[in-house]
Amino acid sequence: MTGRRIGVVVCQCGGNISDYVDTEKVRREIEKEGDVAVAKVEMFACSDAAQQATIQDIKDKKLDGVVVCSCSPKLHTATFRAMASRAGLNPYEYTQVNLREQCSWAHTHDKDAATEKGIKLVRAGVAKTRLSEPLTRIRVDTVPQAVVIGAGVAGLRSALALSDLGISVHLVEKSSKAGGQVARWGTLFPNDRTGSELVDRLVHEVSSRENIVLYLNSELVGKEGRVGDFTVKIRTGTADTITLEVGAIVVATGFDPYTPKQGEFGFGLPGVITLPEFKELLAQHPNPIVYQGRPIRSVAYVYCVGSRGPTNEEGNHTYCSRYCCSATSHLATVVSGLDPSVRQFHLFRDIRTYGKYEHLYETALRRGSVYLRFTEEDPPTVARDTGGLVVKVHDRLLAGEEVEIRPDLVVLVTGMVARENDALTRALKIPVGQDGFYREVHVKLRPVETVVDGVFIVGAAQGPKNVAESVQSALASVSKSAALLMKGYVDLDPLVARVDPSLCVWCDECTKACPYGAISEVEYGDKHVAEVNSVLCKGEGACVPVCPKQAVSVRGYTNEQILSMIDALAKEAA
Amino acid sequence: MKVDSGFLHTLHLGGEFDANLCMNCGTCTALCPLGIELMPRKLFRRVLLGDKESVVGQSETIFSCLLCRMCESNCPAGIHIAENVRSLRTYLNHEVYGLAEA
Repeated sequence: MTGRRIGVVVCQCGGNISDYVDTEKVRREIEKEGDVAVAKVEMFACSDAAQQATIQDIKDKKLDGVVVCSCSPKLHTATFRAMASRAGLNPYEYTQVNLREQCSWAHTHDKDAATEKGIKLVRAGVAKTRLSEPLTRIRVDTVPQAVVIGAGVAGLRSALALSDLGISVHLVEKSSKAGGQVARWGTLFPNDRTGSELVDRLVHEVSSRENIVLYLNSELVGKEGRVGDFTVKIRTGTADTITLEVGAIVVATGFDPYTPKQGEFGFGLPGVITLPEFKELLAQHPNPIVYQGRPIRSVAYVYCVGSRGPTNEEGNHTYCSRYCCSATSHLATVVSGLDPSVRQFHLFRDIRTYGKYEHLYETALRRGSVYLRFTEEDPPTVARDTGGLVVKVHDRLLAGEEVEIRPDLVVLVTGMVARENDALTRALKIPVGQDGFYREVHVKLRPVETVVDGVFIVGAAQGPKNVAESVQSALASVSKSAALLMKGYVDLDPLVARVDPSLCVWCDECTKACPYGAISEVEYGDKHVAEVNSVLCKGEGACVPVCPKQAVSVRGYTNEQILSMIDALAKEAA
Repeated sequence: MKVDSGFLHTLHLGGEFDANLCMNCGTCTALCPLGIELMPRKLFRRVLLGDKESVVGQSETIFSCLLCRMCESNCPAGIHIAENVRSLRTYLNHEVYGLAEA
């Protein structure tokens, strides 16, 4: 007995827990524990009503610690910490016990054993809470500057919008020219402006801003620090490495166009080119349309090249690249606008001119484009004989009859693939999804944030996007960056390491173990000891086991707390 | 079926053939009082693809159409079916039967 007054809420999760764990039995057992002032069962502990009841208990019963036994801490720790705060309890006096992912869902075959395990898990949670202490979040100032990596449409637009808000921007571009892929692409849907016009306007605007610095031929090579105050290293065109202090990092590194494999739909044959190549060709030699000295009278487009591949083959790009159906249908209207007599055949799987772009498909149809649908199992073939290119496809609207087309040009409608950014990915430590693109925290609710606080992903670096969508995500990242930087401070989790200077003998082991350079040597009385910079510390605890004097511990996870939890887990049921 | 890219161009000389928005729903075929199976749904698809041979091969059917426009007034894509049949007839008269222009 410690004299603590701990409240315990056992959540049923609407059956997710209570179908396999006898929550009432857990409650009865926990009620018998010392220091437990109240133990209740709730259908949904996270519901407003249940939270309100718990807040009332905290106030009425003067609780100084709360344990909610529900789902994964990843899901609801923040919820219940906030609940504790609203009740006037320090949020770090709250402990979450995972009765769902780590108990009921894992042991659906054995209700008795699941209940036994549940009781032990809750006992451990109570044991930890007995030794909990109030903690205060660490408030640190943020640097009102951002670095944007990549000066394509997304990067340029991010930089401008940050600049609008008074945030200084360092815009870092790997190549020798700002503008990215879009600059080379001639007219773009939906409003027929050219990519170079669009990009020139942005670049011109960027160059007129005093608070944007553009670094060409430059790369980010290192990142240290933490959200709100990163130190990044940029290797510039002159091979110098400069160091910048920034509060946020926006990754706008874009995509690569898919390059078909040799022989894939005839790739490599004369007259077989990709969508970006055709767009560049039209941008350079619009009228008459000539390819390698020959006028183009007919074009066959093969859609979904390098996109929507079958999932059963390793290395396939299984996703839809989003922009290509609209871009190709738009391109067909550009071609028919230049020369209405050019015959255009679209060999497609599904047309996805979604949202506002459906009219592109209809306009292409109206102007004489013929669409022929094929299935994934029965793709068209592209070959070349003495008469030129031969494309064969089974047309669904002619009941699968083989249609043989002899076009002057075959355009492979290639999608987007993730860029090789290994060095950058390592420097930023941000996760990459199975498709190779950078991964967001939550696809719907947190689409531009990464698991690394203060590092945002925008545009096609996050996944295939058209220009409009890239700009949307660019502006979303600006609002997230501004929310961080304009407040002027950020509150960090106080669950960081600390050193007891009376025990420390400065053996240097913890300094070597720390991956963040957060520990340094300081004088303490007449000896030297280790000291943790709690702003740099991430609380991951590499320093704890290496200390020979047990002088280091992580707040919220002290050695005493962990040992008491082990004791509680090992205790036999009464 | 072999696509003849120039076919539609020649066809256009005989009038405005336009079945671009046809979605092959088959309303036309279902409503045809003569029960002409091929017309206009499949025939127009072949014309759009430039299947000259099938047009020549179907000349009997093309001329048996009554031009009653039952199909046309019910076409959800608003295709001028009767006009299209006329331009096919003009094409056949000129290019296949060698008849002089009226």
